[in-house]
Amino acid sequence: MKKIILILTVFVFIAGMAQSQDKPASLGFKPSSYYTFSWNTTFTMGDFNKWVGNTSPAGFDLGGRYFIQGGWVAGFNITWQRVSQSYGYQTAYFTDGSAITATNYRFTWMVPFQGVIAYHFVPDKMVSPYIGLGIGGDYMEHHVLIQEYDIYKTRWDFSLTPEIGALIKFGYFSQWGALVAFNYKWTTNKIDFEKYNWTSKDLQMLNLKIGLTYILR
Amino acid sequence: MKTKLLIFLAMGMLAITSCTKYPPATSRLTEDLVIYTKYDVSVNFRDYKTFAIVPKITYINGNDSSYLTDANAMALLNRIAADMTDRGFAKVDSNAHPDLGINVTAIKTTTSTVYYPGWYWGYPAYYSPDWWGYPGYDYYYPYYPTYITSYSSGTVIIDLVDFKVKKDNKIMVRWNAYIRALLTGNHTQSEILQSVDQAFTQTPTLKTTPLAN
Repeated sequence: MKKIILILTVFVFIAGMAQSQDKPASLGFKPSSYYTFSWNTTFTMGDFNKWVGNTSPAGFDLGGRYFIQGGWVAGFNITWQRVSQSYGYQTAYFTDGSAITATNYRFTWMVPFQGVIAYHFVPDKMVSPYIGLGIGGDYMEHHVLIQEYDIYKTRWDFSLTPEIGALIKFGYFSQWGALVAFNYKWTTNKIDFEKYNWTSKDLQMLNLKIGLTYILR
Repeated sequence: MKTKLLIFLAMGMLAITSCTKYPPATSRLTEDLVIYTKYDVSVNFRDYKTFAIVPKITYINGNDSSYLTDANAMALLNRIAADMTDRGFAKVDSNAHPDLGINVTAIKTTTSTVYYPGWYWGYPAYYSPDWWGYPGYDYYYPYYPTYITSYSSGTVIIDLVDFKVKKDNKIMVRWNAYIRALLTGNHTQSEILQSVDQAFTQTPTLKTTPLAN
């Protein structure tokens, strides 16, 4: 699945590069800025994948990017994401003398907020591929739900997100378009539940973003 | 233009309202067995040597209560007694002044219910302190008990009460276990008995040094 998504993203990227040579230069316009609203699917990696292995489609992303010079843009991204998975019977012990054995449900709720710089190779074309880097932080809540019990920890982190993607206008002069992007995210976030006997560090993930874009001239 | 903007905003609102922090309850609260135990952390079970167990399980169904005495009920009571014996406690008759007493209750419900520990003590079939030979006494939790929410159709409750250390006409509950979903009919006898074992396993302090012969 991850390979297919990667291949599709790279295909869109290359297609965008190729079409810049096929179309007349007079078609299209260079945006001054664009705003994105995307559905975000998360693929956890490494230790994070051991915590929750399921691919999660529960997420969306809001962004705004402004052309500063040539193909260079600067902007922001705010995202809501949740990854979750149900596990088998496990026992949790508490300091008040209670213990519970039940099916466990783990989830992490994330609110990343990042500043973004990116470079659009052909910003005036209908398909405009880019590479970018997000730098910022995340607010994360890691939860273990054991039926009615909710054990959780809150963590802030620093994160880096290299991204490739493409802005695809619905027409040469349309102010509406689509965004397809694929990124790798590295964070300093960690999960540590001593009583639950769990530690994960440097949480990493891949994200696929597919969404709508509103483009300003 | 306005239509597209409205669609864009509507999608945004839909996403914001649908992407809640907690996953839906239906995907995480199941009717699988849940074994919950709690004990009085101030008590040292090594100070207790003997126990007695009620001969029948109190059965609460709606507003009515009765007794369970069938083979399954007896197997459950025998397993509880065996778990106590394995942990060093000696089983004695209820009239032999045991240090500890065990009351067992089965609750059958067909609706979502919140169980506050001890509410079932008021049912006629529940074994009161009178039955144990302590008229005028009441049961009491020396620790803060936790209620348990049931989405299933049955819970078995085991109360371990203390006859050795009594205070102000109160008989303290030193340990209790809630085993949820035991009465759904979805579990084998073996699973039911293993659940009883697990209740004891997850309370490692519930043990004593056996009396010398």
